Formats: sequence, structure tokens, C-alpha cells
Amino acid sequence: MGDRRRRRRLAAALAAAGLAFGTAACGSGSGGAGSGDPNTLEVWTRSDPDSAATYDRVFAAFTKKTGIKIDYQPVVNFDQQLQARASTKDLPDVMINDTALMGSYQSQGLLKPIEPDSIAGHDQISAKSWSSTVGLDGKHYGIPYSRQAMTLMIRKDWLKKLGLTAPTTWQQMLDVAKAFAGRDPDGDGRKDTYGIVAPGSAMNGYAAWWGAGFLWQGGAQIIEPDGKGRYRPSMDSAAAVRTVTWMKDNLFCGARGVLQPGAVSAVTGTATNFQDGNAGMYMTGPYNITSFDTMLGKKTYEVVPAPAGPAGSDVLAEGENVYFGARTGKTHQERELAAFLVSAEGQKIGMTSVDGHQPVVRIPTNSTLDAAKVRGDARWSVVQKAYETASEQFPNAPDFAPIKQDTADSLNALFTYCGSDVRSGLKELNETLAGDLKDQDLLK
Amino acid sequence: MTATVTAPARRRGPSKKAALPWLFLAPGLLLALVFKFLPMGKGIWLSFFKVRPFLGDKWVGLDNYTRVLSDHRFQDAIGHTLVLGVGISLGAILVGFLLALLLEGQARSLKIMRTAVFLPVVTATAVVGELWRLMYYPTSDGLVNSALGFLGIGPVPFLDNPDTALWATMAMGIWMAAPYNMVIILAGLAGVDRSLYEAAAMDGVSLWQRLRYITLPAIRPALGVVLTLAAIRGLRVFTEVYVLTGGGPAGSTDVWMTRAYTLGFSRNDLGGASAASVVLLCVTLLLTVTVNYFRKRGDVR
Repeated sequence: MGDRRRRRRLAAALAAAGLAFGTAACGSGSGGAGSGDPNTLEVWTRSDPDSAATYDRVFAAFTKKTGIKIDYQPVVNFDQQLQARASTKDLPDVMINDTALMGSYQSQGLLKPIEPDSIAGHDQISAKSWSSTVGLDGKHYGIPYSRQAMTLMIRKDWLKKLGLTAPTTWQQMLDVAKAFAGRDPDGDGRKDTYGIVAPGSAMNGYAAWWGAGFLWQGGAQIIEPDGKGRYRPSMDSAAAVRTVTWMKDNLFCGARGVLQPGAVSAVTGTATNFQDGNAGMYMTGPYNITSFDTMLGKKTYEVVPAPAGPAGSDVLAEGENVYFGARTGKTHQERELAAFLVSAEGQKIGMTSVDGHQPVVRIPTNSTLDAAKVRGDARWSVVQKAYETASEQFPNAPDFAPIKQDTADSLNALFTYCGSDVRSGLKELNETLAGDLKDQDLLK
Repeated sequence: MTATVTAPARRRGPSKKAALPWLFLAPGLLLALVFKFLPMGKGIWLSFFKVRPFLGDKWVGLDNYTRVLSDHRFQDAIGHTLVLGVGISLGAILVGFLLALLLEGQARSLKIMRTAVFLPVVTATAVVGELWRLMYYPTSDGLVNSALGFLGIGPVPFLDNPDTALWATMAMGIWMAAPYNMVIILAGLAGVDRSLYEAAAMDGVSLWQRLRYITLPAIRPALGVVLTLAAIRGLRVFTEVYVLTGGGPAGSTDVWMTRAYTLGFSRNDLGGASAASVVLLCVTLLLTVTVNYFRKRGDVR
């Protein structure tokens, strides 16, 4: 009898332990700390620990001001985690992530529509910024939080040593790249320097992301709106063929060292040659300024506008929006948080770097602020000017993710095979893009 | 009368005994159910839908399967997966076997060597990928290229040339998997009757004959285990490719799982990604059953 009781107790203990372990593990996914508390918002940002430290300061100031607590989760692999949470139909209350993903999120029904008037301080955000948060149905699905545009980071000391100036056209850029690769700008007597850094892998769409500026500067578009809410693919245009051919012949298949070794398989995480000090130019976002200052030194490089192609010097503009997760019931607290994030106070905290941590607001969306003045750094005015006068964004209303990925796959293949036929490659891409638009019922 | 009394007691005895192992297994089974079998079932279910969690999933029948199987990038990925899966599996078995032969014995120095050789198995794949990327660096600064430079070869752009990227990935895969096979084969070698070697030495047989007629038959069960594991793991190769090349350049190292990953997380097509995963599950199951069938047939013979 006693034996049986012991066995029962043992069985019960094992079952309870199993259940407890199981439920504890399940719980970590959906019900983050405090998510049931109406005065606590669960907030996700796509951030590494470095920029998360800045967000911590932003949210601490918000809680101090309003009493609303924040259960903050910085998520590195944001898209995967978000899809996992979406499958349980339990999203974070507030998310801060890329503008270009808005169409993707909206097409999946992950976002709550937003009335701009309901956000205090909405009138301090420019109409241009607000227009980038309009979905296919004409409603707003995000609140503009931060903006940025790519600029050319270039080694000042190398230019000086070789008696060169920062390039303003594609041809000049090519000449400077060849000089950086061939004329030993670091003076170590070895041919171990390169001209331009390119994250040219197709992974996560990098080739399209980095190459977009060149396409626009060459007069090409990936897809074009018809003005009536529909789009047509346009990568088979003469301008696209000309531009991609120029990129292939001069950058990826051109003189040795124009691009860093391994450019066709590089992503931003592995394309570190600029900060490693062996490449002279990098067309990239201003979020890198903090780390370049630390690794290379502020005096070593300068920030200049992108060199112009035949059709201008437009670069890729990006940014982050504040999104409200669908079907969460904390509308008042969410609006309070959004209002604080876009207020001058909230944006200033996000723009400043403490202990060398990465700022999370680049170009402020609050029009009362000036990036260069807030930071006391004139280089930011180059970025702000590029954003305001010479930049384009990926279309945010359609689901741009498959379009970017297909474009990157195609460009990467053309850049890898130097003997490839650009015209037929781009024609094939155009057909694929037409399929993507048709899947979204957006093909003109 | 006696029979009617003893019969229920016999029935109760075995049932209690049979229940106890299940009780001990319960936590593990519960975890497997929650984290393995339910997600797997959900994946199979989702493969028949256009997945839109908040707008309602839309039933599309076999459309996802048709789309995945007719996509030329998936078709290319099948070829790469087979080459990589078979190459890594066989290469790792061969290298594992050679390592096991070299490192068999009780000497203290061998134990240290075995530990050193086993390290790739316990190192995170992301770290291994980063190390190999540095080793494959396409200029003479890279470790492999600097070694090749002494022989007057190169530098070879291992990961940036579509003709070499798959083989370079395979070499890393073999390096990572071989030590695991080595441990299993070492266990098999420990059971070989030493007197057979002594008898063979007295008969003056060659090294190859010793391997062919003594060692290989003796470690057949260990090789069976290694082969079954290789069949299970071979086709689902993912992390090695993802961390080293991301499927590039020009899709030359794209395998089934990297395509499924891109479909699911770069293109947000979870239905299609589920269908691709289910196809892989079915093929892996088929391959495992086939390998087991031939293994058992070999054992019987």
C-alpha cells in the first residue's frame, strides 16, 4: 500500500514537473512580464543590445513622465520572432521597426490603423513623413519615428595622401576607387586596400538594398506606381539595363580591388572592410557613424553626398515607424507612448549617445528639431539634406519584401556571373516581379 | 478456485510494471509533444493555407506544394541539397573512420587529441562558420589561400565562385560532422576482438585485408548507426550553409532549407515555407526507412 502511494506521489511529481516546465517554456513566448497589466505596454524594437541601451533611456523617461510601465524587448531577429508571435495571435502592444515593412505587416493584418489626429504633436511631423505611413486602403498604419538616408563615407586621410578630392560623379568615384586599390593609400607598401565596400549578397535582399541608390541614380525603378493604386514592374527598362551593366562591368567585374574581396557574398555584418581600415568608401546609413567614429576615428573619414549618376544622386531613404499591434486593448497608453516618442523631448533622448551607445533616432521626424544642432555635429546636416532633397524610399504600401528579395536574387546572379547577359536577366526578373505584384492583386 | 484468485494478480502486476517507465518518460514526452509534435502538426496544417493569422488563413489546398515543387529555385536547391547531404554524410563517415583508426587506444596523449578533434562538434555552428569564412578569405591573407600560396596556387575565391562555393561548404560540413562519427566508430572499434588482429598479424595479412575482413565487419553496427543518423541529418542541412554563404553566390549553395527559410522569413510566405518543410520531412522519412531496411537486411545476412 505504502509502495503504491509512493509510486503515485512520484508519478504526480513527475507529471507536475513536466507540466510546470512545459507551461513555463510556453509562457515565455506570448505573455511577457506584465503583459496582462493594463498599465504596462509590451514594446518590441529591432535592436541589438547596443541600441537597446538607448531605448532603455527613452522608455525610462516615458515611464517617469506618465507612470505607464514598459515591458521592453529588443529583438535582433525581429521578423522571425514577430511571425512566431503572430501565429499565436498575440502581438506586442507597440513595435518600432522599418518603414518598408509596413505593407508586409498590413497585408498580414498585424497592424491597427492609426488616426494621425489622435496622436498629440502629430502636427510637428511633416506631411511627407506622414504620407509614408499610408497603406493600400488609404488609412495610416504607422507613426513616423526616425528617418535616414544613405551617404558616402570616405577616407579623408587617403584622399589627402593621394591628392584626390571626394567624388561627385560615378566616374570620379570609380577613379578614386581604383586609386585606393592601386596606389597604396595606407602606405604600408602592400596592395591590401580596396576602393568600395558592397554588401552584394542576395541574403535578406542586401544586393537590392545597397544597389537601389545606383538604380535611381541611373534613372531606373524597380516597380512604378500607376497613380491609381496599382504598380507595374520596370526592371526591363533601358535605364535599368544600362545601370546594372555599368555596375557589373565597373564594380563587380571591373578592375581588381574596386570592391572589397567577397562582395558578392557579403552582408552588412561581414562587409566590415571600411571600419577594419582596408577599404576607402562605403555607401551606407548614418547609424554607422557612431561605430566608425569609435573604430576609425572621427578625423579619419568624412561624410559626403552620394556621387551622381546620369539621372541624379538619389539615395535610399529608410526609417522606422511606431506600429500598434492588432487587437490589443490599450489604445490610450499606446497613443501616450507614441506621442512621447515623436515629441521633441523623446526624439532628443533617442538622438543622443550616452557611453558610446548607438542613437536610435537618426533624422528626427519632429520638424522642430535639427539633427546637426541636437548632436553638435555638422556631418548630420549632410545626412538630413540627403534625406530631404535627394532620396527615395522603397514603396511602403505594397508588400515590398518579396519584390526586394527577387530583385536581390537577380542582381546577385548577374554580378556573380561576369559573362551573364544583363538584358535577358532583367527581363526574367521583370516577369518574376509581375508575378509578385499579381499575387498581391496590384499588377497594372 | 486458485486459478481465479491468481489470474487478476498476474494482470495487475505487469500493468503496474508497464506504467512505471511511461511515468518516467512523461515529462520528456510532454515536452516533445509541446515543442516538437504539435508544431510539426501545425506546420503540416499550415501548408494547406495562405497564412494570414489576423485576417484568417485561407485554404488553398495543394497550391503551396505545386508552387514550391514547380519553382526552379527549389528544383536547383534539390540538386544542391543532395550533393551536399550525400557529400557531407559520406565524407564525414570516411574522415570519422580514419580519425577513429588513428586515435584508437588508451594512451593519455590520445585522449587529449580526441578531445581536441571533437571540439568542432561542440562549437556553435555560427562560430565555426565565421572561422571558416576567415580561413577561406579570398586573398592571400586568408589561411587556406596563404597555404596554397606556398604551393604557387591561388588565391582561390572559395565562397565567391559559384563553381567552388558548394564544395567549400561541404568541406566545412565534413570537418564539423566527422568527429561525431569518430566517437561512434571508436566505440565500435573498442569491441573488436584483439586476438583476431594478432592472428592476422601471424598470418601476415596486409593492412587493407585487416580492414576489409576484420575491422569493417566488426564495426558494422556502429556504421549502421552512423549511416542512419547521416540519412536523417543529410537532407536538412541548413545552418552550415546559412552562416557561411547564405545560399549564395547566385544561389549556388541554396539548399532546400535555406529556400524554405527565405520563403518564410524574407518573403513572409509561411504557407509555402510549411509546404517546403513537409516535403523535406517526407523525403527524410523515406530515406531513413530505406537506410534502416537495407541495414537490417545486411544484419540478417
